[in-house]
Amino acid sequence: MPDLLPFLISGLGVGAVYALSGVGLVVLYRSSGVLNFAFGALGAVAAYVAWSALDHDWPLALAALAAVVTSVAISLTYGRLLAPRLAERESTVRSIGTLGLALVVLGFTEWFWGEQPRRLVLPTDAGAIEFADVRLTYTRVLGLAAAVSMMAAVGLLLARTRIGLAMRALADQRALSSILGIRVLQVDTAAWVISGAFAGVCGLLLANIVRLQATVLTFLVIPAFAAAIIGRLSSLPVTVAAGLIIGMLEAVAVLVPGLAPFRSATPFVIALLAIVLWRDASRKA
Amino acid sequence: MKITLQRIVAAAALLASGAAMAQAKPVCGLNNGKAASGEPIALGAVVGKTGPDDFSASALASQAYFKCVNANGGINGRPVELTIVDDQWNPEVAAQAAAKLVKDRKVLAMVGSSSFVECGVNAKLYAQEDVMVIAGVGVPRECFFAKNYVPVNAGPRVSATVVAMYAAQAYKAKKMVCVIPNIPSLGNWACDGAKDWGKANGVDVDVLAIDPGSPDATSTMLQAAAKKPDAIILNVPKGIMVPMLAAAEQQGLAKKIHFVSSTPAYNFDVPKAIGAAWNGNFDIHLEFMPVESAGADNLNWKATMEAFGSKSDPRDSFAQAGYLAARIVTEALLKMDPKKIDRASVSAALRNVKGFKSDILCRQFYVGDGARHNANSSGPISQVSGNGFKQVSNGCLMAADPELSDLREQEKKFGL
Amino acid sequence: MTPDSIRRERRAARLALLRMVFVVLALGALVPWLANAYWIKTLTSSLALAIAAAGVALLYGQLGLVSLCQYSLLGVGGWVALRVGHGLHWPFEACVVAGGLSAGVVGMLAGLPALRMKGLYLALVTLMLAGGFQVVISATGFPDGGAGFLGRISGSERLMLPRPALAQGEGAYFAYVAAWLAAMLALLELHRRTRAGRSWALIRRGEAVAEGAGVNVLLYQTWAFGLAGVCAGVAGALLSGAVGQLDGRAFAASESVMLFALSLIGGAYYWAGALVAGLLLRAVPSLLVDLGVNGYLAMVFFGAALLHALITAPRGLAGQWLAAFQRRAAKGRA
Repeated sequence: MPDLLPFLISGLGVGAVYALSGVGLVVLYRSSGVLNFAFGALGAVAAYVAWSALDHDWPLALAALAAVVTSVAISLTYGRLLAPRLAERESTVRSIGTLGLALVVLGFTEWFWGEQPRRLVLPTDAGAIEFADVRLTYTRVLGLAAAVSMMAAVGLLLARTRIGLAMRALADQRALSSILGIRVLQVDTAAWVISGAFAGVCGLLLANIVRLQATVLTFLVIPAFAAAIIGRLSSLPVTVAAGLIIGMLEAVAVLVPGLAPFRSATPFVIALLAIVLWRDASRKA
Repeated sequence: MKITLQRIVAAAALLASGAAMAQAKPVCGLNNGKAASGEPIALGAVVGKTGPDDFSASALASQAYFKCVNANGGINGRPVELTIVDDQWNPEVAAQAAAKLVKDRKVLAMVGSSSFVECGVNAKLYAQEDVMVIAGVGVPRECFFAKNYVPVNAGPRVSATVVAMYAAQAYKAKKMVCVIPNIPSLGNWACDGAKDWGKANGVDVDVLAIDPGSPDATSTMLQAAAKKPDAIILNVPKGIMVPMLAAAEQQGLAKKIHFVSSTPAYNFDVPKAIGAAWNGNFDIHLEFMPVESAGADNLNWKATMEAFGSKSDPRDSFAQAGYLAARIVTEALLKMDPKKIDRASVSAALRNVKGFKSDILCRQFYVGDGARHNANSSGPISQVSGNGFKQVSNGCLMAADPELSDLREQEKKFGL
Repeated sequence: MTPDSIRRERRAARLALLRMVFVVLALGALVPWLANAYWIKTLTSSLALAIAAAGVALLYGQLGLVSLCQYSLLGVGGWVALRVGHGLHWPFEACVVAGGLSAGVVGMLAGLPALRMKGLYLALVTLMLAGGFQVVISATGFPDGGAGFLGRISGSERLMLPRPALAQGEGAYFAYVAAWLAAMLALLELHRRTRAGRSWALIRRGEAVAEGAGVNVLLYQTWAFGLAGVCAGVAGALLSGAVGQLDGRAFAASESVMLFALSLIGGAYYWAGALVAGLLLRAVPSLLVDLGVNGYLAMVFFGAALLHALITAPRGLAGQWLAAFQRRAAKGRA
């Protein structure tokens, strides 16, 4: 039996980013009722902005800031200008709207930066923790820490603050909530800003851990949805745990002889199993 | 008679220009400085531009060469019109592109095509309509096993075999792992050249077929390293190769195992992207002589791009391939009677191509009328050095892949 | 409602059905005379995909269910058609029917666990199915004349699926696909007018309502998934005949999402909407490629157009045009 431990640990890296992306998706869903298909694309453009900044010898902090500002700006523009026009429609249509945004952002990113091979190198790559034949770079540790702390922070925001309450109310019953006096514009803005910031940070980490390539990063949103589904689009801790487990199992799958060529299907298989096994809990979302 | 004299003059001019610097005037076609103005000759190219990678450099280089030809007397007075269509890495669009070029535009041949998806989809159409394709770059198996498709490049199977041979020679590697994406027509073919060569030469080559869509390169590298090889052969597109090397570096494998790669890694953005850990530590097989080599034809290629290509056209190995394809077709067309240039005669002329020489290629190129074509089966080895590459092999290595035996027979008959 | 008015309605409905079939068949007959080889190929793909879009529109327009895996069912239909075509040498029509039915069965099976799910949750589950299919088909590829279960050939050229005897040429095949489109649209329309359609309308109001009215929700919902699957499977088989082969990398999950999005934009409540969706999926990108527009800029344009259509045309483009046409006709009558 080959040694599983190195693969479990290496899977924590990608798992952390699945977890973080999942939290970002669930947050926007819980606060605006929209499934953000553009999450990956926003992350991709943020990562490319950071790469360009680093290429021009900007300090890391400034480059990361520029990246997050980009994704927040695009997210905010969409949230304030375009999303309100779809506000009366059902949630499916609102989510397809974000698909349009994803295409625009992805097309622009690919066109502007082109296809040359690039790598987003962060200083935290240099150091690593040695653990059972595997080195876990500090970037991945950072990703793990970010996933857990963001989960706690957002959970607190939604559960304990006024704006969190307002977000949940708007997502549930938009018309009724606005009649009750909830400031729709303000809350919407907050939701899209938070989602944009998440997308930016996830994009930076994913570009480092996976690959700096716009199309790949954009469509990594689909496995991230798997983590969100297992959390039933509501529970943040379950989403984080699911993301980590998916990452680890996908890494271990490389050892199973027949399964290795299919291992990127792991998130989907696990999500489907979770749905079939816990069907009673899966009612209208 | 006149044509022969012009060709001698052209050859002499080529020799003379070989001594000059790269800024010299490019030499192409009849080389008489007269703009061609007869009835145009329609040629086409299908390239994969929008998608995982941009292969259009080869068709752009072909186009630059044809522009040079048109400014220098054309094909005995007739200009060449090359129409380039992007197949967007989508087989349906590739079929539409071929329909557009072959049936609507009625091209006489395809020159400088470079597509991952069109070989399988369009091979039958080309055979049915008797259109020869002198392609710049072919990748999957069906590009090298089609009657009418003639790639100028060597292909991933040959490339991996040559670099495996180099690793055995330079590093005395006895155990290797060859990493290949698990796509049909690639995953079960492109590493097998190295494997079969290894079996016949006492080297154990293990094939690792990976999921190209997987976001986790670290596990792949750990798995390859777990087999305790002396060398790891990466036979993957450069987009996937860069994260793999990054993962290998992070896991400390760069110092323990020799990493070598087939030709996709030969790209001028790669050394900077992969970083200093691989300086002097990563060997790559090249399908053509290095881009900065000082051979006469290579300098002519650069001069052609300078004078007739646009600034944004890449000057990489794809462009070398496109230039060669265009030169092959031009020379074949120049030998023909200008009044009898139609699809059938062009295809016959192209099949007759043998003994095509260029210092960009290691050996003479030929087409022949066989059921498959893979004339380029050798190449030099370069190593990442600083922000560029330096050649580390003594000249070219020829692939000793058992699958090439039918072509070696043919080459013997041609006297190569 | 008088007996007279009922008779008039019935006749109007019959006429509408005949009109739809006639328009599609006329398109099939006329276009080959007008279009060049590039456009005939493109429009053949468009018509085939219109069948799949009709299935998506059935699920969303009739039942309010979002399925983001229909393109994968297209792949299933194409796979089966290629396998029986190459392996058993069945006539083309039998391959199409086999492809359609198998995709229908898979669609029903996929629909079963999703039965109690609604809205976005169902959408995500189907997206997971599409994602899984993408990984599997990229690795196994489509049959191309070889032996074994997967039917992949190695050692020689990949084979193309032979076309039906009376539709060998490009123009003839276009008309053939148009005939299949007319048949599938008529099938869906007939469903809509019979008990199935009424049951679906009740299920859309609410499951409790439907159960109260005596409708077997399980049966009709599964039937709808199966029918949508059949549409997708038929489309896949016709596509495999059009190109002759299918490539595993062309069946990503994003294709299913685009199929749904463009069916919505085309108009999920009208048969013409499916046609518009097919054109948007293939003809518009081909136009942009033909004009030499950079592929990525075309993507930007597409995304913007998607948003615009979503915002300004709630009933889809077909709905918008139909409404405008009806307003014009009413003005004419007044």
